[in-house]
Amino acid sequence: MRRDTGATGRIGAMTRMGVTLLLREPGPLVSRLVMPVLLMTLLAPLYRAATDQGTQRAVTGQAVMFSLLALSMVGQGIMSERTWRTWDRLRCSPTSPAEMLAAKAVPPLAFLAAQQVVVLGVGAALLGLRVPHAGLLLAAEAAWVLMLLAVGMALAATMRSPAELVAAQDVGGLVLTGLGGALVPLSLMPHAAQVLAPLSPGYWGVTGLLGALQGDRAAVLRSVLVLVVIALAAWAVAVRRVRRGWSRRDLV
Amino acid sequence: MLEVLGLVKRFGDVVALDGLDLQVAAGEVVGLVGHNGAGKTTAVEVVLGLVRPDAGTVRVGGIDALAEPRRARALTGVAAQDLQLYVTATVRQNLALCAGLAGLPRRAADEALDEVGLAQAADRRVAVLSGGQRRRVQAACALLGRPRLLLLDEPTVGADPQTRSALLAAVRRRADEGAAVLYTTHYLPELVELGATLAAVRAGRVVARGSQAELLAGLPSRVVVSFDDDGGRLGPRGHDEHAPGRDEPPAALVGQPAERDGDAWVIRTRDPGGTLAALVRAGSLPRRVDVQHASLDDLYQALDEAVRDAA
Repeated sequence: MRRDTGATGRIGAMTRMGVTLLLREPGPLVSRLVMPVLLMTLLAPLYRAATDQGTQRAVTGQAVMFSLLALSMVGQGIMSERTWRTWDRLRCSPTSPAEMLAAKAVPPLAFLAAQQVVVLGVGAALLGLRVPHAGLLLAAEAAWVLMLLAVGMALAATMRSPAELVAAQDVGGLVLTGLGGALVPLSLMPHAAQVLAPLSPGYWGVTGLLGALQGDRAAVLRSVLVLVVIALAAWAVAVRRVRRGWSRRDLV
Repeated sequence: MLEVLGLVKRFGDVVALDGLDLQVAAGEVVGLVGHNGAGKTTAVEVVLGLVRPDAGTVRVGGIDALAEPRRARALTGVAAQDLQLYVTATVRQNLALCAGLAGLPRRAADEALDEVGLAQAADRRVAVLSGGQRRRVQAACALLGRPRLLLLDEPTVGADPQTRSALLAAVRRRADEGAAVLYTTHYLPELVELGATLAAVRAGRVVARGSQAELLAGLPSRVVVSFDDDGGRLGPRGHDEHAPGRDEPPAALVGQPAERDGDAWVIRTRDPGGTLAALVRAGSLPRRVDVQHASLDDLYQALDEAVRDAA
């Protein structure tokens, strides 16, 4: 007979399927793990020549830029389920929208954690990156990752087609990384870009990570607060959209 | 087990449901029939909580499904019209997910696969399965854990006869065990095989409900008769006698609503036996006779005519 196993059982079942689907196509995972390591190794000398905190900027910049993988992973995951109509299967079950979204977030979260550990670990081992306050770094990373996952969910829940989602992710990626100072240090960017940078979540991600590496508790706290607020707002949008559902004409 | 009252749903200017009422008792199979766009799938989606109605109530096992959709869904097994399968995952992985969501052990998935005859394909990816096999996977998900209510929305579309027969047998077993089954289809023979009560939907409301015998009883059958060139004339014929058949109806058909269809005559009659007997009595022996009893199309047509007449 059917019985209620609770949210944990349902999230576990959906997460297992999410991992299965992810491992069917491991190419993006491998490339997003290797590319940041290669790039930061190549770029570190340039950053060191350009700024005082070259190593830190090289590592945090690539960590932030390639963490956008989480945005696309969770977004594509949800959009695929919408187009396959499997999302409706989940909605026909006793699962709540929050459980569905949480289950979609677990595999990207796990991979992202592994990616950040690898990037920071290689940065420490090969480039001499110093991590004086692991706790601060963990807080900054956690806030950044949660924000990415929540924004990815909100985008996938509100876009009408895979093509729209890709376009949104392209624009979002630029705003989240380039404008935030992940690619080029802010001090080297035009004045207008420096003024606009705080509007980008990426700015708070970079300043949070840099603050953590420099032991600047206030900077980390500010960053965490801003990112958590953005994450909560995006999460609320996603849950509301999933709860309302889509009619058959909501997919292009 | 399922009680739907006064459902209304509009999509912009389109009225998909217009006061739909429907009841399905435990152990009963109700066949929801109607033209494409009549509102069948929307009704199923509302019952599942996928679409919010503008008005009306839905109760599943006494639970208000609109206020407590998750409790209601826990009692419900669903096979939607669209295939809702993870094509890159295996059959077993798809079933394991369904079992996990329903709070069932993994062995329940294996039992369901056995029931629909897919145990051999359990470790194959859905992407490589035939259309019929995919339908079986979808049905197995619905049957998992013996839900008290089964919502099956055209579950056999594209399935071969063997798959269709297996699925119908499984659904019949569930109904015999006490499940309430709401089954939408365009194939009347499936509902005959299931011994279903018919609920005919037109323009978003149930306009007729009853057994197939009750609903189709008053509708005329089609008797298709073909004659030899001499009109099937029995016995000798005088040289000046007219030979009916090919171009004009035999004498026995005159006065009956008969239409020409190629070499044959099509007679719409509520008494096929009487009509054939009258033909023979009048001296015409058909070369070929085909009696086609009233179908769902005839029912839809009669309902349309009734609504037009009422208007």
